[in-house]
Amino acid sequence: MKISRRNFIKASGVAAAGLGLSQLGFDLSPIESYAAELRIRNAKETTHICCYCSVSCGQIAHVSNGKLINFEGDPDHPISEGALCAKGASLYQLHDNPHRLKKVRYRAPYSAKWKEVSWEWALNKIAANIKKSRDASFMEKNAEGKVVNRTNGIASVGSAALDNEECFIYQQFLRGLGLIWIEHQARI
Amino acid sequence: MADKSFFVDTSICSACRGCQVACKQWNKNKAEVTTQRNWGNYQNPPDFTPNTFKLVRFNELEEGNTVKWYFFPDQCRHCIDAPCIEMARGLGSKSISQDAATGAVLFNSKIKVSKADFEEIRSACPYDVPRRNEKTGTMAKCTMCFDRITNGLQPACVKTCPSGAMNFGDRDKMLALANKRLEELKTKYPKAQLLNADTVRTIFLVVDDPQKYHKLAAANGTFDITRLAAIKKMIRPLSNLANWLG
Repeated sequence: MKISRRNFIKASGVAAAGLGLSQLGFDLSPIESYAAELRIRNAKETTHICCYCSVSCGQIAHVSNGKLINFEGDPDHPISEGALCAKGASLYQLHDNPHRLKKVRYRAPYSAKWKEVSWEWALNKIAANIKKSRDASFMEKNAEGKVVNRTNGIASVGSAALDNEECFIYQQFLRGLGLIWIEHQARI
Repeated sequence: MADKSFFVDTSICSACRGCQVACKQWNKNKAEVTTQRNWGNYQNPPDFTPNTFKLVRFNELEEGNTVKWYFFPDQCRHCIDAPCIEMARGLGSKSISQDAATGAVLFNSKIKVSKADFEEIRSACPYDVPRRNEKTGTMAKCTMCFDRITNGLQPACVKTCPSGAMNFGDRDKMLALANKRLEELKTKYPKAQLLNADTVRTIFLVVDDPQKYHKLAAANGTFDITRLAAIKKMIRPLSNLANWLG
């Protein structure tokens, strides 16, 4: 590139102005725009366990004026020592995300559209579907005539968001229905 | 505060992209609308943008009968003598500066830069890092998490790294760590090398030809030096004038 007359004048003008003002005690350093107060400086810190996978990394939630403002790894946590993967590092978006779904959505079979439904409707629908599939696929005895009492028509896959105790209750529920295809996210 | 540097050990990077997400998270940068499905690569987005300061590059190469996957968590190098600063000064723009204590190269988020000036500044960077927000007219890139490091915290990308590939600290300590890892890896990988360690503050350690990771992983030596010299020569009359005025 060449130095145009315009740029030359601009550059020398800025340099001169900068020198003049800095002598008067003005800090013209553009660094000032970054050296602002650390936004988590006065935030309350609460420890938290990442909800996503079974590694259970430690996290710190920063709360300022009653509002969650940041999530990051907890360096004091014995398992993760402050580290977080891409999912864990994005946890703030679980709380603050315009794309997050806040209502139950249902897509009927063969439909191309989603519609909003109530929790009550959705839970009843799930219960009805479970009853229908279980009634249709329940097997009392196998081919050899042995009593098995199993439901081959339903499988359960998930869920990492459940803790140990919740998983225990959930599995009792599934076994009670006669499910044998039971998987947890930690094994997937 | 002492001169700071990053040390990025790509030999233990698993490309989880924790750094990329943590960077977005801390800097409150918006998500990108990407076309990942159409270009057959796990890398996402395809390149740096004004909203993506940290980008894990993925490169798949067929070597013999196997496929090799190269991971490169790319970012601004915070050069010792940053060509972007020289170029911006040459253009009469105060949009880029370097913190004397840490060495962080910072783009001012409030000073607008014309498209033409920006193209000059971008072309001065051997690693093609600077980006300009078309809407605001300002430039953006990695800030070394300046607000964090000046308050005793690690940069977001370094803090989150689960494998320990990302490191940050005093430059002498990072150089010592880099050289130690280089010696360890050289026995197994003869091509192991540090990229431009003498001229940059983001020191990458690779175990193969840098070109296989990313075409701009390492600066071409001659390009780097001649370009910088040319820019300096160009702006010399201006600094002389500034001294004379001062």
